[in-house]
Amino acid sequence: MAYNIIVLIKVIPDLEQIKPDQQGNVSTKNLPLRIETLSENSIEAAVQLREKHGGKVTGIIFGTQESVPIMKKAYAMGVDDGVVITGYPGNDPKYTAAVLSSKIKVMPHDIIVLGNQSADSYTGLLPGLLAGTLGYPLIGNAISIVPADRKVRVKKFLENKNVEVEAPLPAVISVAQEINEPRLPPVMQIMAAGRKQIVTEVASISNKSSIKVLSNTAPKSERRKMIFEKAEEGVPVIVKVLKEELR
Amino acid sequence: MKSFVFSDDQSLVPAIATFARALGDVDIYSSGPASPAIKKYGALKIYIVNDTNLTDSIADLLASRMSKGEYQFGFIASTVNGRDVAGLLASKSNAGSIAEISSFELAGSSTRTKRFFFGGKSILEEESSSRIFTVSPGIVEPREVGTESPVEQVSLSPSRISVLSSEEKKSGGVDIEKAQAIVSIGRGLGNKDKLSAIEPFASAINAVIAGSRPVCLDYHWLSEDRQVGLSGRKVRPKVYIALGISGQIQHIAGMRGSKIVIAVNKDKTAPIFEECDYGIVGDMFDVLPRLLDGMKK
Ligand SMILES: Cc1cc2nc3c(=O)[nH]c(=O)nc-3n(C[C@H](O)[C@H](O)[C@H](O)COP(=O)(O)OP(=O)(O)OC[C@H]3O[C@@H](n4cnc5c(N)ncnc54)[C@H](O)[C@@H]3O)c2cc1C
Repeated sequence: MAYNIIVLIKVIPDLEQIKPDQQGNVSTKNLPLRIETLSENSIEAAVQLREKHGGKVTGIIFGTQESVPIMKKAYAMGVDDGVVITGYPGNDPKYTAAVLSSKIKVMPHDIIVLGNQSADSYTGLLPGLLAGTLGYPLIGNAISIVPADRKVRVKKFLENKNVEVEAPLPAVISVAQEINEPRLPPVMQIMAAGRKQIVTEVASISNKSSIKVLSNTAPKSERRKMIFEKAEEGVPVIVKVLKEELR
Repeated sequence: MKSFVFSDDQSLVPAIATFARALGDVDIYSSGPASPAIKKYGALKIYIVNDTNLTDSIADLLASRMSKGEYQFGFIASTVNGRDVAGLLASKSNAGSIAEISSFELAGSSTRTKRFFFGGKSILEEESSSRIFTVSPGIVEPREVGTESPVEQVSLSPSRISVLSSEEKKSGGVDIEKAQAIVSIGRGLGNKDKLSAIEPFASAINAVIAGSRPVCLDYHWLSEDRQVGLSGRKVRPKVYIALGISGQIQHIAGMRGSKIVIAVNKDKTAPIFEECDYGIVGDMFDVLPRLLDGMKK
């Protein structure tokens, strides 16, 4: 049986390039953008499902105008169709869920795939908020997804165990990084992706978030940073510290 | 004021219950059987559900109790099932939610919370009227009370999820969060056999061995319960010794609370040298025997 698969793709700045200013404030303005780590795993999982069972993979990015070119990478990885919704404010997963679910509702869908926790904001709340809003079962942190007719079997990767569960479709499935190794698309596919159409639209719901950001600053590192390039100099210092601390 | 604490992992209950107790009364929800340990943290009631994978039914139960006004706040351990329950519950109860809090304060009718942002590169301080929170490990030191909480089994409404099978993971049988000294290894170890070169030093200083995510999760050189980092354990030993760990921000987020950080890395430019107190640029297999010699003197 063929499935309509929706994959939610987050676009994030290159976090390694964040440099706090003198006051410790951090900003991601003008940093290069990329597909979030677990979103890549989600794309891979969605494309593998289509390769095996047939159907269609639609990617949705809730981001900004700058996210539009990033959809091309998703196309190159095998996403069939893409929509970029602009107006992403950044820190309220409830609003993100409201915008995404209102879009999903008007698209054909059986399986909705997204990352369990994104590498930047790391809330892990979006899958639940989305499943709750759509009224679908949620299966978290998947390492394998096997649909059969109108049901899906999923292995969940938990902290102390792996659990296999089954749920009816449509369902929201969040994936773990361990589910797959995202493919590196061949050059031909990247070129073809460049010519494909990307639909963009503005978020249809207004943001009534109750969350007010008070500050966003780098955690202070008050480490001594005594670095020795010669082991013979560093070893005695460290031995002394260890003996004092671990007496 | 009354809050609930939910955790599918009972070992995370003590810290969160201790923290929630500072705000008022607390009930605990987990799956059973209730360990003697979780009965010691002053909960009015411990409710045991039969399976914490039935996240939809658990969210239904908590949402209905919240809507009856039983709980002002919900504090949920940030595990896979915990986060799923938190998101579902926030949507069903139409309450705001904040994830992975490491600090919480009441400010009138609002709350002020802190959490890591930008993958741990920053701390986001937020004010909101949220009522549901996932809680990062180590929010406070657990403190027992003298009484024992009563336990009650609670049944769930039917779930759309059926659990087919469950398989325990191998555990290292250690609790790295309690260690005074940690020797933490990264991909720089090279292969699992080389662990034997680390063990003598670790035992000489009474340290437990932990590791970065690739070491625990991808290569299985160590068991998963020894992973330090944003998606692993948050540790705060007296001494944290990072060997062959580059110091990516997701790793730092798990060991930032350490009193003293020592790093050995071949690469002078490794970010770990920005996050350590003492560092040696060099090969860990050369440096470690020298440290061991020094400790024996
Ligand atoms: C969502 C998300 C969550 C994550 N959560 C975590 C987490 O919880 N914990 C975590 O650790 N990571 C986490 N990561 C991964 C993290 O980004 C890094 O990839 C990881 O920490 C790197 O591990 P490493 O330092 O062991 O390996 P590498 O980055 O490969 O570093 C190896 C280091 O060893 C050094 N080296 C090599 N040989 C030697 C030698 N003989 N002697 C001395 N030094 C040597 C090298 O110079 C290098 O610096 C997460 C990533 C994502 C996207």
